[in-house]
Formats: sequence, C-alpha cells, structure tokens
Amino acid sequence: MIISRRTFTIGAMLAAGTAGWPAFVKAQGAKTIAVLFDGLYSPFWVAGLDAIKRDLESRGFEMVQAISDQDDNRQFEQVKSMLARNVDGIIIVQTDSNAVIPAIRAANEAGVPMVHFNRPPAESDAKSVTVLADNRRITRETVQYMVDVARERGGTYKAAILIGDLGDPNAVNRRDGFFDIVDQHQDIIEVVARIPTEWNADRAFSGLTNAFQANPDINFLFTSSDFMFPQIVQVMQVAGKLHPIDSPDHVIFGGFDGDATAYKLMEDKLLDADGVQDLFYEAELAVNAIVDLQAGKEVEPVLLDPGFAITQANLEERREDMWGYHIHKAS
Amino acid sequence: MLSFTETRVVDATTRREARHWRDGRIFRALLSEYLVLWLSLAYFLVMLPIIPAIGSRAALSNILADMLPLLAVAVGQTFVLIVAGIDLSVTAIMAMASVVGASVMSSQGGFAGGTVFAAPLGFVAMLAVGAAIGLFNGFCAARLRMPSFIVTLTGMMFFSGAAIWYTTFHTETSSIAGLPRSFVAVGQGSTLGIPNSLWPVLALVLAAHFILARTAFGQHLYAVGRNPKAAAIAGVPVARVVILAFLISGLCAAVSSALYTGRLETGTPILGERMLLDIIGAVVIGGTSLFGGRGKVVWTVFGVLFLVLLDTSLKMLGLSLFSVLAIKGTVILLAAIVDTLRVRLTGTRS
Repeated sequence: MIISRRTFTIGAMLAAGTAGWPAFVKAQGAKTIAVLFDGLYSPFWVAGLDAIKRDLESRGFEMVQAISDQDDNRQFEQVKSMLARNVDGIIIVQTDSNAVIPAIRAANEAGVPMVHFNRPPAESDAKSVTVLADNRRITRETVQYMVDVARERGGTYKAAILIGDLGDPNAVNRRDGFFDIVDQHQDIIEVVARIPTEWNADRAFSGLTNAFQANPDINFLFTSSDFMFPQIVQVMQVAGKLHPIDSPDHVIFGGFDGDATAYKLMEDKLLDADGVQDLFYEAELAVNAIVDLQAGKEVEPVLLDPGFAITQANLEERREDMWGYHIHKAS
Repeated sequence: MLSFTETRVVDATTRREARHWRDGRIFRALLSEYLVLWLSLAYFLVMLPIIPAIGSRAALSNILADMLPLLAVAVGQTFVLIVAGIDLSVTAIMAMASVVGASVMSSQGGFAGGTVFAAPLGFVAMLAVGAAIGLFNGFCAARLRMPSFIVTLTGMMFFSGAAIWYTTFHTETSSIAGLPRSFVAVGQGSTLGIPNSLWPVLALVLAAHFILARTAFGQHLYAVGRNPKAAAIAGVPVARVVILAFLISGLCAAVSSALYTGRLETGTPILGERMLLDIIGAVVIGGTSLFGGRGKVVWTVFGVLFLVLLDTSLKMLGLSLFSVLAIKGTVILLAAIVDTLRVRLTGTRS
C-alpha cells in the first residue's frame, strides 16, 4: 500500500492528538481556586497574589489566575470562564465596586463561593465575603501621628493629599480618614491640594508637580498608597522638598500600605508614618473564607484586618509586623 | 525510456505544474469567504481535548454572550474600513454613551431615574451620543479632508477624558449604578438559555448585511473604498457616503455600549478602554481589508467568533495577561499580513 505524504501527515497529527489527550487531562480530585486580580501595578498586589498562591498550594489547592488589566468587562468574562471551567472558588480583586456585582451574581447562581480580597463590592443583594483592612481607622491613626508631629514642631501647615481611584472604596475610606483628623486641626493645617490619581503613578507625578508649582510651601503630604512613593520622592527632590525629619525644612510625610519602599523611607528618616495592612493575615483570611464557604459554613460578610500605623516612634518594635519590611529584608 | 535530459525537462515541468497548482490552491484558500470559519472550527476541535470544559453548554453560552456586544461595534467598524477609513474613537464613544445613558436612567439621581421612561430615554441618549460623535468624525474626514486616523485618535483622547469628567458631576465614585432592571436585562439576561442581547445584535447584523449587499448605498461604500476619485467621477456622493459610514460606526458603538453597560449594570467612563485592538482585530481577521473596498458583515461575524473563541480558550487555560495579549496580537498581525497578501495576489491576477 502506498501512503501519500498528505495521508501520513494527517494520520500522524491524529495520532499525536490522541496520544496527547491523557497528558492534558487534569488530575481529578484537586480543587481549583481561581484568583482574579485586576492588575499587578503595585508591590502590594504582587505580594498579595504571591501570599495567596503559597497559602493555597500549602493546603493542596490548585490555583488558576487571571489579570483583567483594570477592564471590568474582561474580568466579568474571566469570572464566567472560570465558572464554566467548574472552579471551586474565586478570590477576586475588582476595579469597580459597582461593576463587579454581575460577576458576584453569576458566581451565586453557579453555587461557587466568591471572596473579595482587600476591596469590597458596592452594596447589593449579591452574596460574597470581603477581606479588607479598616482603611479609615488605619489612616486616622497615621494622620493623627503626623498632626502630633506638626503640633510638636509648631507653626502652620499647607497640606496635600493624593487620592486614589474613587471607584475603589479603599480610596474613599483613606481620603475620609485623612479628613476626619485634618478637619479637627484646621487651626494649623489647611488642605491646599487634593490630587486625584486614579491609582495611576503618572497622574500622581504630574498632579503633585502641579501642586508644588501652585503651592510651593506645601509641608504636609499624605499619599493614599505607597506604590506612588517613587514618583512622589522624585517630585519632592526636584522641588527641593525632600528633607529628613530632623531638618527644619522637613515636609511631614505619610503613606498607606506598608510596602518595602515605605520601610526604606522610614529607615532613612524621610517618612514620618505609614498605615500598614497586614497583607499575610488578609491572604490567610481570604483562603480560610473560601475553605469554610466550600464546607458550607457561614462566614461573616466582612472580615476585617485591623492593621496599624507604623511611625518613627514605634518603628523598631513594630517592623516585624510590616510585610514590606520582610520583602525589604529578602531583597 | 527517456534520456537524462528529457527526464530533467519532464521533472521541471511537473514541478512547475505542481507549484502552479499549489499556488492556485493557496490563492483560493486565502480568498475563501469561509477561511476564518473553518479556522475557528479547527481551533475549537484542537482545544477541546486540552480544555474539555470549552465544549460545555456554559462555555458555549459564554462565547455567544461575549461575541454579541463586540460584534455590534465591529459591524460599525466594518463600514468605516470599507471606505478605507478607520474609527479609533469607538471605545471613547462607548464610554461616553455609557455614562450619559446611565446619568439619564439611573435611579440614583438620573434625569429620568425612577420613571417608566428611564430605560428608553437612556438608550436614546446613548444613540444620540454615538450619532453625534460619528457625524463629527465623518464631517472632519469627508468635508475637511482630515485623515480619519488623526480625527478619530484625537476624538478618542478627548471623549475618554470627557466621559470621566462627565461622571464626576453625577457621582462621587467612578461609575454610575442603579440602572433599571429592564435595561440590564437586555445586556445580561437570557430567555430559555439564549442571551437577550442576541436579538438586537441579530437585527443590527441583518440590517447591515442588507445595506451592504442590496442597496445602492452599499455599492457606493465599496466604490469609495476602492477608488474615491473614480467613484466621484461616476457620480457617487463621496463625502456623504463617508459621513454616513462614520455615523453608522458611531451608532453601532452606542448599541454595543448599551449591551456592555447593561451587562455590568453600571455606566462606567472606562468602558471599552482596552478593547480597541479586539474591535479592529476582529474585523481584519474576518477578512475586511484595511486598504478599503473589501468587506462583508458575515466575515466580521466569523472574525469576532474566532477572536472570542481564542480569548475564551486562553482565559480558561489561565494564561498570564501578557501571554494572552502577545498571542492575540500575533494572530491579528497574521491576519493583517494575509490581508496584504490577498491585495497583492488579486492585484497580480487582475
């Protein structure tokens, strides 16, 4: 029998496909958790994803991840795809608190538990669990320390705040926490710049540059997230505003997250205080919640990470609780 | 028995004939209307053993639901590409329409919120936004003779920013919620397993196909795309045709926006922000030429099917975003290369 080249090729491809089938069939029995982040645009999210992955793997789960690049529709499609893939749970970080609600409903309909990591959804009848830091309380603690420093130094202060994306309740709560304290000290602090950043470092850079140009005597600065520190430090250097805490020209400076850059700035005495989320604890809470929900247990809708403020006064005693310190040590 | 020389001549002739035969087959394959459909089916069959769940009812339903709003905006883009233009502002039209429509119908302070007219008025507002921006684009491209690339690129920048600015007047957060259930049901709901969004998109596709295939206006679109000077000499109202093409693109983007907005239950100023490559890519993959004068709605359907199928399979594999973007970009680039080869081959043949 003479076999043509075409016939041989087709036969070989079919054979390869058939032989390869078992290699691509997933092992039965291992539960799969989908971890859907909207982006990895800051060290917090990178470390958070890593912490969740390690925790899941240590408990014998398989993890499948997807990043939506801050596209709400894409994330909705990712959720539907994961549900079609029959995952056993979803841990999600959404971009917009309203736009995630259809995704929660889809998970509810499929009977798949969903846990929000660090960002709560807007209120609705859809059921899910949220793990988040008490942003407002932590920010209040951080800014209170900054105000105490201001009082001690004396004088009056022109303040600027970099605000995150107001579609993210975290940004809203941090802004509110800032004003909760600052509004009580209007005798010495005047807020001259509210800089919207949409959680975008480039916008932070340009917004802060404009703020310093319009108000060169800004001497009290708070950022809603540490991931903007590189841009902020650059702007302050160019404006001649970056001085250590013992300098008379020091700009009282605070942040939020507790990343490695924050620790370095505190170590270098450039940063007065930073609000710290206990990232590893939040990751553990998220995975615990998924496990409990799968087991049919009732879980509180909000699991709170109390966090704390790390300051120049308590740096030595509290740095072990700061996730950024551990990353700084490891690097 | 043939001599050595005669054998060589016969071999050379055989090879030329075989090459000619192969070239003909390749040529016919490249020009086949159903190339992308067969590719889609082949891809699906290849992925089925790798991701068995892609053949499930849920996955197939997802693919259909994901196709429909993308198809709506891609149909509009087809019209513009046929006249050798391009509309880069479609994503900004979608965003602007989303927030304007939501600001009309939202129960949280919308202009018609809470009334029975909320959803229809909101939809009309979205269409009005799409039509207005489309007309503006068409006027600039046709009457002012500006390159459509620049007009629509600047339009994309302007209206993207305008959408965010507009939103700040209606909410302290970054999106407008509280949309009526009747509106949401079109973008999100299904009846007997069939997405509700299928019907408006099907109507849109059929209307677009009818226009292109059966009307004088459709013929004018192709004529302008192939050679606008010759079309003008032949009496085709070139400027009007171009303006109408952009108007249709704007309206289709508004329809797509309505479906996406209903799906997310939220008017968001960043709707479609990352979707431009998918929209143009789907049309090009389908076979509509970037050089103008060639395109069909059914090709766009195939192109959207292939792109959504590819995207869904990559999502289900859990590949990193970077891998997904790289793969999709490569596929779209290959489609553009095929388009160029087609133009070259048809040019050689004629």
